[in-house]
Amino acid sequence: MPQPLSSKENSLFRQVIRNYEEKQYKRGLKAAEQILKKNPKHGDTLAMKALIINSLGKTDEAFALAKEALTADMKSHICWHVYGLLYRHQKNFEEAIKAYKFALKLEPGSPQIQRDLAYLQAQMRDFQGYIQSRTAMLQSKSQLRQNWTALAVAHHLAGDLVQAEKVLTTYEESLKSPPSHTDYENSEALIALEHLESIAKHNLDRLAVLELRAEYLAKLGKKDAAVKAYRALLDRNSEHPEYYNGLTEAMGLDGGDTSARKAVYDEYAKSNPRCDAAKRLPLDFLTGNDFRDAAKLYLTLMLDKGVPSTFANLKHLYTDPFKKETLESLAHEYVKAKESQSGDESPAEGELKGIPAGLYYLAQHYNYHLSRDLAKALEFVDRGLGLVPGTVEFHMTKARIWKHYGNTRKAAEIMDQARNLDLKDRYINTKAAKYQLRNNETAKALKTMSLFTRNDSPGGPLHDLIDMQSIWYLTEDGEASVRNGLIGLALKRFHAVYNIFDVWQEDQFDFHSFSLRKGQIRAYVDMVRWEDKLREHPFYTRAALGAIAAYLGIHDSKLVVNGVNGSTNGAADDEAEKKKVLKKAKKEAQKAEREAAEQAAKQDPNKAKAATSENVKKDDDPLGLKLASNDQPLVEATKFLLPILQFSPKNIDGQVAGFEVYIRREKYLLALHCLNAALAIDPANPVVHEQTVRFRQEINLKLASLPAKVAEVIKTEFTAIDASTDLKKYNADFLKKHKESAAHVVSAVKIRKLLGEDQKACEKALFDVLSLKTEDWEPAAEAHGLLLQWRSGEAEAFRKAAGETWPEVTAFNPPPAPPASS
Amino acid sequence: MDIRRLEPRDIPLIQHANLENLPENYFMKYYLYHALSWPQLSYVAVDVSRPKKTPYDYPKIVGYVLAKMEEEPTDGVQHGHITSLSVMRTHRRLGIAEKLMRQSQLAMVETFGAQYVSLHVRVSNKAAIHLYTKTLGFDQDKTESSYYADGEDAYSMRLDLSTIREQIRDAADAEGVDEGEPVGEAGSKTLPVREKDLKKVKVGRGLGVQALVEKDESKHS
Ligand SMILES: CC(C)(COP(=O)(O)OP(=O)(O)OC[C@H]1O[C@@H](n2cnc3c(N)ncnc32)[C@H](O)[C@@H]1OP(=O)(O)O)[C@@H](O)C(=O)NCCC(=O)NCCS
Repeated sequence: MPQPLSSKENSLFRQVIRNYEEKQYKRGLKAAEQILKKNPKHGDTLAMKALIINSLGKTDEAFALAKEALTADMKSHICWHVYGLLYRHQKNFEEAIKAYKFALKLEPGSPQIQRDLAYLQAQMRDFQGYIQSRTAMLQSKSQLRQNWTALAVAHHLAGDLVQAEKVLTTYEESLKSPPSHTDYENSEALIALEHLESIAKHNLDRLAVLELRAEYLAKLGKKDAAVKAYRALLDRNSEHPEYYNGLTEAMGLDGGDTSARKAVYDEYAKSNPRCDAAKRLPLDFLTGNDFRDAAKLYLTLMLDKGVPSTFANLKHLYTDPFKKETLESLAHEYVKAKESQSGDESPAEGELKGIPAGLYYLAQHYNYHLSRDLAKALEFVDRGLGLVPGTVEFHMTKARIWKHYGNTRKAAEIMDQARNLDLKDRYINTKAAKYQLRNNETAKALKTMSLFTRNDSPGGPLHDLIDMQSIWYLTEDGEASVRNGLIGLALKRFHAVYNIFDVWQEDQFDFHSFSLRKGQIRAYVDMVRWEDKLREHPFYTRAALGAIAAYLGIHDSKLVVNGVNGSTNGAADDEAEKKKVLKKAKKEAQKAEREAAEQAAKQDPNKAKAATSENVKKDDDPLGLKLASNDQPLVEATKFLLPILQFSPKNIDGQVAGFEVYIRREKYLLALHCLNAALAIDPANPVVHEQTVRFRQEINLKLASLPAKVAEVIKTEFTAIDASTDLKKYNADFLKKHKESAAHVVSAVKIRKLLGEDQKACEKALFDVLSLKTEDWEPAAEAHGLLLQWRSGEAEAFRKAAGETWPEVTAFNPPPAPPASS
Repeated sequence: MDIRRLEPRDIPLIQHANLENLPENYFMKYYLYHALSWPQLSYVAVDVSRPKKTPYDYPKIVGYVLAKMEEEPTDGVQHGHITSLSVMRTHRRLGIAEKLMRQSQLAMVETFGAQYVSLHVRVSNKAAIHLYTKTLGFDQDKTESSYYADGEDAYSMRLDLSTIREQIRDAADAEGVDEGEPVGEAGSKTLPVREKDLKKVKVGRGLGVQALVEKDESKHS
């Protein structure tokens, strides 16, 4: 029940509301106090005061006050509305919805509450609730077209296209005159609902209409009309492969007759000399000599023009060995022919035309994973640099070659040279920073980045990168920090990425209303659908996997310290020793983090200035030390894990990580679920083999102690290895089968150790990895990591031997350590 | 390469390309604001030939143009504006930027009845200046001093879109469509009333969509 106020106070109350809306919080607060002086238990005023206090940043106080308001006046819709708004502010949308619903029950006609509720329902994907809200809003104001569109959209989002269409038809019938041509909102809504033919004339989105028309005509088998429609589309945009496909299909040319098909492309190439697709796309379907001829023409044209991205435009053809070889020989021929023609005319600096372009193509060719010969790639780069020494492109490719060798140090150096050749280009600057990060030089990389960031905020360049949502940088910096042993800092970065995804999800909120007003309904629906699976993006998965691995590491090292892991030799002084090592490592890491931060601070030219922006909240954990000392690392890991399992279940790394988290949490059913999913994706994956054996071993130990139901499910669903299997033999068979693959060998050795084999024998077995003579050095790096983890005396010998096998790999041939003092 | 319209799901990689290539950056919401206000105007170039690394790979964006209509044109004339344009260095000189721009310009006329399109470019940016003036025919309007955050001046450029307008009209005539007017011609030389009303609506939270406009502009000045 609204508590009555005197008329003077009533007008004061209206002023409070006005003040709040106009953000005059101080004034509003004063007026509220005035009312409360006489009516200390006036619920609505208390609620408005809470709202104002909340806007001033005092959330806790605001909540306490809002509760007080509710106690004073349980029946006030204002009190409930405010309560909902506070929850909304806290992003506790479920509670907010509940509160709004209460408020609405008390004041069914309130458009404001109804609206606030509706948009939250859309945000929370409560589409049935949203339909109800929109229906109520329509009923109260049916003359507003927007309300009709909105209800149709609500049905559309809920998947009920028929109902959506009905709403719109009803609306149109209710109009005396047809909607005007300029009426954007209407035309968009219609196209969203595929009213194409009837609305084509009125729709201002000409491209959408043309595309849909072509598609429908083709589907209906109206070939001539479809041909015409696709030609109209190609006349607009001849770089969209789908249109060519549509055209040739409608012409009935998608069968074997490639020459007729090619003729269509030729026609467009001729009429539109600047068109790339018409010349390049036939290379996809031509074969044999036809391919060779067309490829020669294309390659010659591009290299003569000096298009450095020629290789990028052709490399997809390399999955076909014939095309790969043909392009290689054509490029060689091109260079030879040019060399024999050209007299003494030397190429212009910085230009990649003719011979340099050919050499550049070949360098990229030999650097590409399907045609890799790094020594040859270097040879062509060096020949190119002999001709045009100052070109960014050759330097860039050279750096990439060194990266492929595993020489991160040289790669970073040379990419930085490339950067110096074109200081105005952020692209090359970005690449230089990225290569520095790959070489674990995080401070240097930030300095490089700072050449293009805005550095005028108190947080400096890092602040700008976070603010601008530079996910690639945060992720790479996090991964480099992991390699540098700075787990806190790494977690800091991975959490920053996590938070960006939260922001991205929150970002759509305003558009639930904005888009209705703008009338761009199709784009809005696309956005909603995309946001529904936002965290499917590889950007999320990569950072989340980094965070999970870090948290697992934290969890495991705690176990080592606490001796929970049933140390095999169990000696107390060994435990003490472990503790000491860990403590020292932790100290060193903290010191390094402090130094890194100080260094970063020094690089910030604005740091000395007093912080200007009062809005920037001070980060009370810049090094992530708090994150790293979280005493529930597995809970945190699960937080990062769930979206991967939900949105990217076919990502094997996600399932592998899921197993690791759940087995540590002794959630055996969930672990098994991940394991089975991983087995379905790639049964031969070495890590999945490890996990299978580990699971069998652990289950055999634990099965008896599990609840009967759980045990039963595990028995029926874990079929990869039988309970009675001799695991040692199983592992030996696995090794035999995969003895040529280094990664599998490493996995098998890990399992031998787990099954109790003598460490010495395992160490020896790891050396087998070195004799496999593969290009891929990463399994050897993992083997080296294992030896270090086992604190094996052989680790250093292994590193040296690996360094001889892969002389260019920085990981095995670290630069000499800088002098210890600083 | 595939040149097509921007879709909302492209945005993370468009933002990524922008961060790789240019010092003027924007948060995701600003891209959404473009994509949801003028979805017809922004285009991307996609490297369709990249082998997928996971089943969840998104189309690899190697170039984009992010464009908008000026919401409150000071001269009262409907016109478009290029917010951002860039192409990855590995894919430059293929004509991508030119084609992206042409698609956007066409849609500005067709869908929003734009009379001209404007943009800013750093006075030192030779590649872009060549593209705008020589390839696309922009006129240099004026120089705005210290337009960019680092103090560099900008050329303010514009391109009259009447040629496109005529082409559309001719095409419609040729088709013998009974529309009389090219589509989009009716699309408001003057702003429809509703658009104006829009300006007054508050968007309800800390950083409303409208606030983004100001945020962007303050970035330069
Ligand atoms: C400017 C930029 C977008 C051009 O992209 P692009 O796809 O390589 O350009 P195109 O291939 O369409 O080239 C268009 C024209 O510009 C010319 N051009 C391109 N790069 C050039 C360069 N570095 N120097 C001189 N001219 C150049 C081309 O030769 C072509 O000219 P033509 O019509 O006379 O044949 C690209 O260089 C880039 O992304 N730069 C970094 C970001 C940037 O500066 N954006 C513009 C901000 S306003």
